[in-house]
Amino acid sequence: MKTKRPFQRVERMTPTMRVIHWVNVVAVVAAVVTGLYIAHPYYQTFMADPAVDKYVMAWNRLVHLFAAITVDITSIWIAYMYASGDRHKPWMKLIPSKNNAVEFFEVVLNIFTFNRRKKFDTTHMDSFNAFWFALLHLLLVFMLLTGLQMYVQGLASGESSIGTWWPWILHVSTDWTLSVFGGNMGVRYVHHLGMWAIVIWTMFHIYVQIWRTIFWQEGDIAIAFGGSKFPKKRREES
Amino acid sequence: MSERREAAVKLFTAANATVDTNRGETYYTDLYRRCEARLSELRAMAPQSRINLHEVLQDDGFDRRDFMKWASATTAMLMLPSSFTPLVAEAAELMNRVPVIWIELQDCAGNSEALLRSDGPKIDEIVLDIISLEFHETLMAPSGHQAEKQLEEALEHFKGKYLLFVEGAIPVGVGKDWCTIGASGETFEDHLLRLSKDAAAVVAVGSCATFGGVPAAAPNPTGAVGVMDVVKGKPIINIPACPANPANMVGVVLHFVLTGQIPELDSLLRPKFAFGYRIHDNCERRAHFDAGEFVEEWGDVGAQNNFCLYKMGCKGPMTFNNCSIVRYNEGVNWPIGVGRGCIGCSEPDFWDKYAYERPMADANIKAPFGGVEKSVDEFGLGMLAATAVGIGIHAAASALIGKKSTECGEES
Repeated sequence: MKTKRPFQRVERMTPTMRVIHWVNVVAVVAAVVTGLYIAHPYYQTFMADPAVDKYVMAWNRLVHLFAAITVDITSIWIAYMYASGDRHKPWMKLIPSKNNAVEFFEVVLNIFTFNRRKKFDTTHMDSFNAFWFALLHLLLVFMLLTGLQMYVQGLASGESSIGTWWPWILHVSTDWTLSVFGGNMGVRYVHHLGMWAIVIWTMFHIYVQIWRTIFWQEGDIAIAFGGSKFPKKRREES
Repeated sequence: MSERREAAVKLFTAANATVDTNRGETYYTDLYRRCEARLSELRAMAPQSRINLHEVLQDDGFDRRDFMKWASATTAMLMLPSSFTPLVAEAAELMNRVPVIWIELQDCAGNSEALLRSDGPKIDEIVLDIISLEFHETLMAPSGHQAEKQLEEALEHFKGKYLLFVEGAIPVGVGKDWCTIGASGETFEDHLLRLSKDAAAVVAVGSCATFGGVPAAAPNPTGAVGVMDVVKGKPIINIPACPANPANMVGVVLHFVLTGQIPELDSLLRPKFAFGYRIHDNCERRAHFDAGEFVEEWGDVGAQNNFCLYKMGCKGPMTFNNCSIVRYNEGVNWPIGVGRGCIGCSEPDFWDKYAYERPMADANIKAPFGGVEKSVDEFGLGMLAATAVGIGIHAAASALIGKKSTECGEES
């Protein structure tokens, strides 16, 4: 006999987190679109227009750098929220404890048994997702450091419009990438490959959230919009 | 452990590329005094060659005014205040006091050629002519045992005082035994180590001597490396580029004559006065880059209008060199000026990483697990396609055999 169980509303993303999420989405899409142009200009400007009227590469670079700075700022925000321990405490799901490891593999099993096995609490953030998001944060830090190394190469005089501290801090924090990734060109290779890694990351992320929405029937996709998901109440609770 | 810590410290404290063009009044006053003292000391020394710079200049049709114009340009190139111009001129006259030994290893003699075969001798080349070149196998009259004897005498006579110019890479791998020099069959590596032992400083000229250059290109059959990987415990100055610009060679020698010290170097041991700025930032076609006006193929309308060569694989944005300012052959022209892209010849691994006529995204890179060579974008797209296929298979399987957590409440 079918029993209709009532839904419960579980808040998963605060308004702040959702703002960060969508700001990141816009910034990363803008960075990918303009970054691909900077790496290999894939459309042409009109020959007939005089050069002063177009500023195509410069605009692309401007948008790319603004998108990058936006992601940098949200990254600092996210780092603060990791450290300050907001009520969702994602970092606690990253500790390599036995519970987290078991949960991680249960989530993987859930995906590969096509939801035939589901032995973890789906109402809260699971350790697999926490790991997956941490991976994105690391990728963004990587793009930040390699990107700023390319940026500081244009500030050879050690001066910038906001003072000498800015190139100085960029040199101190990013010069090591030159030796690690193989010079100016090596840094460019890995920065470009990092972009592909982020695109792959995004593709998997969106797929998993849609898949969960369909197979878990808990409205996971709504988290990013309304902030809440809607699992059914447990039988004993209803 | 301590080695690892040392390596980490080195990684984070390497000299950066920042160029300080104004060090303040006190610094330059102090430097001026030191340079004056150094030059009077040199003037007191007996010249190593009897060639007089002004006679040679006069013979080639340069008057005093031309020479002073050159001196002020060179002062600016060395990033010194204009008050140093008379000192630079005097240093050029005293360059015959500094003995130079020039050796060639795994090379094409291109840097010597760049020096010799300009369209007419310019002041840079003439100034290099009057340095006291004690040994240069390609240029000197003696050969074989006679040449070796001359080298031994120079080594003995100028012990600790000579500048050792090295042209060409040093094979340290399998090729070590293939490349020997002289009748005794001395390997290049031993030869370099022996000659550098008593040198005041070692100047690596050209991309091969600095970073291995073309001989070190994949698969590097001889195991070629640059001077700084072989010689330890000596001041080393790298003057890369293929060929190295004679103006930068003169700059380094002049700086040594003037101050008795090597110029300020970046983390790759390149003098900052020459390699402190990117080609891109001083390129005459930079406006076309910002406007998005690119040459799409050789000889098209863009090429006829001197558009940016970025899409033809110009590596100016990744290359530090002063050839967009100094140019070659006394400012006649330079690669981008003649309508072809920069190939990054002053950067390490330039042949593999820079010298292809495609943008960076189309550069061929090797997979970490083997020799598969694909472009950067092909790698990225390949990974993306693999992910898409995986997701597609998973989605199809889910649709066929997946179990929805329905309302029936069968889950525990």
